[in-house]
Amino acid sequence: MDIIITDSALRKFLDTTADAEVISKHVSLCGPTFDRIKKVPNDYIFEIEAITNRVDTACSLGVARETAAILTQFNLPAKLINDPYKDVPKFPDGFPIKFHFSIEENLVVRFVAISMENINVKPSPKDTQTLLEHTGQRSLNNCIDVTNEITLFYGLPCHVFDLDKLAAQKLIIRESNKGETITTLDEEKNKLPGGDIVIEDGSGRLVDLCGIMGGQVAEIDDHTKNILLIVPIYDPQKIRKTSLSLQKRTVAAQLYEKQPDPELCLPVISKAVQLLKERADGDISSDIYDYYPNQRAPKLISLDFNWLNRFVGIDIDKNNAITSLASLGFGGTIEKDHLICSVPSWRYHDINIKEDIAEEVARIYGYFRLPSILPCVNLPSESTNLLLSTENKIKNYLSAVGFHETYNSSLISLDMIEKNDLNPDTHLKLKNALSRDFEYLRSSLVPSGLENLKHNIGRTSDKFLTFEISNVYRRVSGQTLPSEISNLAIISTEDYRNTKGRLESLFEHLHLVDTAFLPGKNSPAFYDEKCTAEIHSQNTLVGHVGYIKPTVLRKYGFQPTLTVIELDLPKLTTKILPQSTFTPISEYPLVIEDLTINSKKLIGDIIEKIKNTTTLIKDVEYLNSYGTKHTFKVSFGSFEKNLEQNEVNNLKEIIQKQFTV
Amino acid sequence: MGTNLIEIENIKKELASDLKKSSSLEGIDMLKTKYLGKQGKINILFKTLPIKTDPKLGKKINDLKDLIQTKLSEQLTTILTSDNKMSFDVSIPGTPMPRGSLHLISQAIEEIENIFVSLGFVRRRYPEVDTDWYYAEGLNIPKGHPARDDQETFYLDDNIVLTAHTSNGQLHEMELKKTPPIKMINIGKTYRRQIDTTHTPMFHQFEGLVIDKDINITHLLGVTEYFAKSYFGQDRHTRLRPHHFQFTEPSFEIDITCGVCSGSGMVEKTPCKVCKSGWLELGGAGMVHPNVIKNGGFNPEECSGFAFGWGVERVLMMKTGIPDIRLIYSDDIRFLNQF
Repeated sequence: MDIIITDSALRKFLDTTADAEVISKHVSLCGPTFDRIKKVPNDYIFEIEAITNRVDTACSLGVARETAAILTQFNLPAKLINDPYKDVPKFPDGFPIKFHFSIEENLVVRFVAISMENINVKPSPKDTQTLLEHTGQRSLNNCIDVTNEITLFYGLPCHVFDLDKLAAQKLIIRESNKGETITTLDEEKNKLPGGDIVIEDGSGRLVDLCGIMGGQVAEIDDHTKNILLIVPIYDPQKIRKTSLSLQKRTVAAQLYEKQPDPELCLPVISKAVQLLKERADGDISSDIYDYYPNQRAPKLISLDFNWLNRFVGIDIDKNNAITSLASLGFGGTIEKDHLICSVPSWRYHDINIKEDIAEEVARIYGYFRLPSILPCVNLPSESTNLLLSTENKIKNYLSAVGFHETYNSSLISLDMIEKNDLNPDTHLKLKNALSRDFEYLRSSLVPSGLENLKHNIGRTSDKFLTFEISNVYRRVSGQTLPSEISNLAIISTEDYRNTKGRLESLFEHLHLVDTAFLPGKNSPAFYDEKCTAEIHSQNTLVGHVGYIKPTVLRKYGFQPTLTVIELDLPKLTTKILPQSTFTPISEYPLVIEDLTINSKKLIGDIIEKIKNTTTLIKDVEYLNSYGTKHTFKVSFGSFEKNLEQNEVNNLKEIIQKQFTV
Repeated sequence: MGTNLIEIENIKKELASDLKKSSSLEGIDMLKTKYLGKQGKINILFKTLPIKTDPKLGKKINDLKDLIQTKLSEQLTTILTSDNKMSFDVSIPGTPMPRGSLHLISQAIEEIENIFVSLGFVRRRYPEVDTDWYYAEGLNIPKGHPARDDQETFYLDDNIVLTAHTSNGQLHEMELKKTPPIKMINIGKTYRRQIDTTHTPMFHQFEGLVIDKDINITHLLGVTEYFAKSYFGQDRHTRLRPHHFQFTEPSFEIDITCGVCSGSGMVEKTPCKVCKSGWLELGGAGMVHPNVIKNGGFNPEECSGFAFGWGVERVLMMKTGIPDIRLIYSDDIRFLNQF
């Protein structure tokens, strides 16, 4: 939570010779961060980040306490002054007005109230107006300003009602009913979701949207004479829920949802009364009302000094630790190597375990004073993660041979799924999508790749070659979590043969063995099935390569041809040879001859058949086709001797014979 | 005197005329074969000599051989050094090779991974879609805690989320290893319900976790400082500020000195626009909360650890000065081609 206070407001609770710059620099290292500091005439404005679990530091008092403790460590004289916890406030009693509010259970931690009479509403003194202006608030009148100033000083919101505008003196603090309305001080009419904490004045009217903003009906105006002053603490979760659902993130709401200290209620109401006496000539007109159903027992935590040193990493002087803790309000008694710490009331929620105490000691000592040491961990060796290393190898290879890598969101739209003829029902859908553009988890990388192509039309005259490696997400029946599968997708405006050639080079680079391209069956819906191959390695399907089908192309307005590859990398990785093995090279030269085969078989099958004829055939390269006549360049060779021409001719005949019908 | 001497003179003449006609390397090679080859004129001349011959004649032929060699070699030098490439234009454009590009995020991940691997961390990948236990409950964020209803998390159903941080990997790693030590870096996709100049619904985080006997705060400082200097530069410094996260205790915010104003907070007498008083936020870190260690199946009395989770895009933007995260996700080839 970001707060704004001034240097002068800080010094209401801090006695130090250190200037604003020094304070800001040192405190940021050990306590709340001073994000920005701005010089104004006679003062400084501080923008401070109060850590979420440290609501006690969201005010002058809290920052002053931290500052005093921290500056002392830097040998700068600093002392907390005007500590409201120091004196127990006294309230006169015996007034005719004695409040008895009706409070529903579990809504209120503490509720303190008092009324004042003879109020004289007028503008605040100049100092107060300047303070509020510097902290980004508007000065309204002396009564309202007191409540805002008190919040700034003590971090506890309080509220004033015009007592004469309340129907009865018996207030009801209860949960709202769904649909009830209240017009708040910002003139907005709020329709309540129900379950919000509200105050009803006994006539059915809501007069306060508790912990968030007062109601307009009992607003202070120029004619106000009698006021009701309340300092309540509400259930944090209810305040948060209401504040979020009504989108009213007021300072009060942000403070209440972080559980301020109920022990501060009496000191704060006492200060408020004092200020209203001084500035609005008010007099107390009621007994103090104090509802505090569950007083908390003090919290004790034991700290072992030896453990502390091990945990922080250096030896911290015991006395130094105790002094730091004392300056933050901790009490303690020493028992041998242990310190039994008593936690101050304003730290009741954030201090729970010994590590919390260690933090207090270490940060006040100064993290910046600790050495930087690299840990020596005896980690047993592990085998390489093949999937991760293969992904890197593919990325580096493809990006070096002309492909551009893209990163797309895993969240895609319904439109993208449907354009690719995929089934939305098989996709995982978000329960609370941010927008329709990011609604489904993708089960294929291809739709995103086609979007990439669409966006780039007209941007480049070159061919379009991109790839992406990312997880796809698929529902698995009988399993709580979807499976996350690392996929590779390649989008290419080159034709099938060129794209496949590039893929085969990649496979060789990866040492993927025993690959085969078989006519596709049940290929993903965006493929043109008759122009798509299943890619197998060692008889396992690892992916597809083929053309996008014309109906999909048309939806995107793409020209044919568009070749798309998608591979399942975990499957592919298991087929990669872990190490490349050495193959001896023959000393004898190859004999290379062209060979034309007349056959109706698939070219791939013809090549396989030629290769399988004899071990003397070292390589078969496809050249071209004319009808059913296919020409190949065949390399013959032997490890034992030079092949004679007649031997080669014999082999060629044997090959030919296999294709004669 | 005889035919041999005449022949020597003829050869000399022939050579002179041949040399005049040969101005190419191939021509010289042919002359070499013609005169000095196995079947060359010199060898033939030697073969025609009777067994008993005047040694003077032999010497004359050898002199001739030397002469031919010298002449050929001179001619060769003349050809090789002759300025016959006058029209050579060094400015002619090269024939382009196809070149692709590795995405900025991949480059950053590779760089980050290498830094941590050099420190002995093991690279991991853990689920990006996970159950509530790993994402929140097991990380000491109980139901009803404000960190739960922060509106930032995408849900598939009440129990399954798209992880908004990589810290779920902490519990998975402890389950995998079963006992200390642990030293891992988990890099993965994370998701938040936000979109603006510094947020995209999907982004990447890297999560470090070290657990062993007596791991302490100085170790977190050591690793942080090592990373910051390796990734951003030796002149950069880090600082720890107190912070709060449910799954670490104590928790820190790590800052690094700003590269634009060199940590001074001022650029030419005006406050630096990039940072806050000379510091940039790197991300959160902390000592692993004993409840989290317990939830991972380890005994918090016997070991301790630290963890951090930082944004890949964030460090990338801090390093490159790219002002808007959405630009990183641009698919414009003209953008991708720059890297």
